[in-house]
Amino acid sequence: MTEFIDGPLWYFALAVFLSGVVWRMFSIFRAGSKPDLSVPRRSAAVSAVMTSLRRFVPRHEMSPRIRLQLVAGYMFHLGLFALLLFAAPHVLFLQEHLLGFGWTPMPHWAFIVTSQIAFAGLLLLWLHRVLNPVTRLISDADDHVAAVLTFVVMLTGCLALMETFTGLRVLHRFTVELLMIYFPFSRLMHAFTFIPSRAYTGAWYGRRGVDA
Amino acid sequence: MNNNKRSLTAHQDDFFSVVKALLVIVLLLSIAPQALAAGDAEPAAKVVNPGAELWREVRQREAPVAGTTQVAGMDSGVLINIRGEQWRTFRMQQLIPAAGALLGGVLGIIVLFHLIKRGLRLELGRSGNYLLRFKEIDRVLHWFVATIFIFLALTGLILLTGRVVLIPMVGHDVFSVIASASKEGHNLFGPLFLLGVIGLFIRFVSKNFPGKGDIGWLLKAGGMFGGKHPSAGFFNAGEKIWFWLVIFIGLTLSATGLILEFPFFGQDRLIIELSLVLHGVGAVLLVAGLFGHIYMGTAGMEASLESMTSGYVDANWARQHHDQWAEACEAEGAVIAGEELAKKQRLRGTKNRVPDRPAAEEGQ
Amino acid sequence: MARMKFLCDAERCIECNACVTACKNENEVPWGINRRRVVTINDGSPGERSLSVACMHCSDAPCAAVCPVDCFYTTDDGVVLHDKDICIGCGYCFYACPFGAPQFPTTGAFGSRGKMDKCTFCAGGPEADNSSEERRKYGSNRLAEGKLPLCAEMCATRALLAGDGDTVSNIFRERVTWRGSSGLTWGWGVAYSKPGLRRGRGVEGKAAGKD
Ligand code: HEM
Ligand code: SF4
Ligand code: SF4
Repeated sequence: MTEFIDGPLWYFALAVFLSGVVWRMFSIFRAGSKPDLSVPRRSAAVSAVMTSLRRFVPRHEMSPRIRLQLVAGYMFHLGLFALLLFAAPHVLFLQEHLLGFGWTPMPHWAFIVTSQIAFAGLLLLWLHRVLNPVTRLISDADDHVAAVLTFVVMLTGCLALMETFTGLRVLHRFTVELLMIYFPFSRLMHAFTFIPSRAYTGAWYGRRGVDA
Repeated sequence: MNNNKRSLTAHQDDFFSVVKALLVIVLLLSIAPQALAAGDAEPAAKVVNPGAELWREVRQREAPVAGTTQVAGMDSGVLINIRGEQWRTFRMQQLIPAAGALLGGVLGIIVLFHLIKRGLRLELGRSGNYLLRFKEIDRVLHWFVATIFIFLALTGLILLTGRVVLIPMVGHDVFSVIASASKEGHNLFGPLFLLGVIGLFIRFVSKNFPGKGDIGWLLKAGGMFGGKHPSAGFFNAGEKIWFWLVIFIGLTLSATGLILEFPFFGQDRLIIELSLVLHGVGAVLLVAGLFGHIYMGTAGMEASLESMTSGYVDANWARQHHDQWAEACEAEGAVIAGEELAKKQRLRGTKNRVPDRPAAEEGQ
Repeated sequence: MARMKFLCDAERCIECNACVTACKNENEVPWGINRRRVVTINDGSPGERSLSVACMHCSDAPCAAVCPVDCFYTTDDGVVLHDKDICIGCGYCFYACPFGAPQFPTTGAFGSRGKMDKCTFCAGGPEADNSSEERRKYGSNRLAEGKLPLCAEMCATRALLAGDGDTVSNIFRERVTWRGSSGLTWGWGVAYSKPGLRRGRGVEGKAAGKD
């Protein structure tokens, strides 16, 4: 079981993840867009960049209504990526199995604080999703599966913090593999699509002189 | 059985769980020092030598002669740590059995109670009109604390009772993996619990001060003896007591938990052992209270869970359980007709994925 | 069967810390850990006394009783050992131990303690005697080679005695007679006054069957 999860299943998950993401991005780009015949009022490229950046902050009119999502959203996403890239076991793993080089990981205490922030953020986001009538209505199974899967991946990772029990490490690896296999077929793809999506909107509207 | 009687007995249970909790606090607090004192009788030295005075002093923790040593570490200068023995006796022979008895007992009482009395129904059925009871931010906070609390309770109880309960079932190797996971998880989520309790305090404290009707509610024991349903405001006295238990025991758990988790602010073994005693006793009490709380929020009282899911309660539910609050709402004209709410929320089985407008819900 | 005990003669201990160093060296203990320490009372004043303290291998060992994962066991020689594969590093054994024997590698702040390490009476752990696994986790297993703990062997003044309880106390009794003063088997009341764990209340560690 351990060998299967560390070996074949890992490569399978990696293959599904990589090919799935590439395929989905490719099909999005291949779809292209209608030729825009409007007279350009502004540079589409500049607007693409501007909108991509502006999206990091909510529109003024919206901010009081989405304070919870904003704060919890940043807590979760920043925490998650800090963990993904700077947790000591992850850096070691990337160095040994994928990249061949590593970088300075964060200290243990920072790992703990970061994961607490990320957990709080994810929990708040999901609670908001199910407790707000609107978000509950527009959420489907995919949203919940994605949230729960991400939560389980983070949780198993933290339960394995002592780093001495093989069973716990493998459990974490297994949930990661499930997530990787699920990833390309779900809204988790927003981790990749958010950039082109913002840029496209920015370019399309910016060209017509509309702030988007 | 008439409806009124049912309501009385349900309150009775709420009240009983509170009384029981208080009784056990007193009991355990009276046992703890006794347990800590039990080991004080040191086996006397068999032969007395000139240094005997010195050695006797050494055994006392408060010995005037503090030892010195080249080796660094917590209490490394102390020769004999007597409290450790007292703590282990308390933990293994009193706390663990008491925890099992209390939690099992409360659970048993609730199940028995439910089988005999059934839950408390809405006396007048549903009115179809609604009152907003908890805003979204309050519900998010409630479930945030609830999730974390249940996780901490589960992992903590695994650490406390796993040796007795789980090792015989799964064996040492498997249990060790479970225990390690529990320990890491418990330590990770503990500090978040503190933040949650502080949040609860901020959001709910204003509604939990003793108020009109509380004495009456308590005197009638939630309607246990009196014929008439006791009057209550937004929260009744039972709920207020639960709130303050959560706050005080919750803060105690957090404080002692943090002392245990960060053992490098000079706390010695005595402080840690006392923290473990308080932490264990507090945790068991609060979990026992939680059982009662969950029962009253779900099977024990019809239509009360809605207040924490959708945030709205039926107007009849409000009138039955929180008449003062219901009257105040009615006076303000805060009653929302069912159709209006359904339109606003599209909660009632609509498959329409495109809400025409974001519901103008409470600002958050 | 022998019942292994430690005895430290406070009239002889000169606080040279040779036992501490010998132990560290022999068992290659994890960094930052001292399985044995010497405590001095009334340091620098008349009546100064020193004692070398480590795990006393208690009969009714508090550490074993309190361990949430039940990882201790007592060998037929009366030596209290533990299984590092099972230990979760909670620290409870340290809080319960009268002698402060269990130690923890401080592999990081935030209450993460790492697996407990303590004096094994130079008797290794649950792995096969003198296997490399055993050596890596617990240090040497001198008892299996018919030798006694190195700390006591190294003690220049023979203050620290280790071995079968009867033999050790006979040596000590002779000394006390010869010295003309009464002696005190320091720590014995706490460590050995209670009935043995292994024959006792069915509290047995995973590897309880190991000889
Ligand atoms: C701020 C909140 C909390 C913190 C920081 C905290 C921390 C801790 C720590 C450090 C331990 C020792 C565990 C170990 O190192 O192996 C512990 C044990 C325990 N905790 Fe908590 N905890 C918190 C809240 C809670 C809550 C809310 C509960 C239960 C509802 C709980 C139940 C327990 C129990 C039952 C134990 C085992 C005690 C024993 O084995 O004697 N804790 N906690
Ligand atoms: S001295 Fe401490 S570690 Fe050794 S057996 Fe006794 S309680 Fe356990
Ligand atoms: S630190 Fe290890 S040996 Fe000590 S009580 Fe905890 S689990 Fe048992």
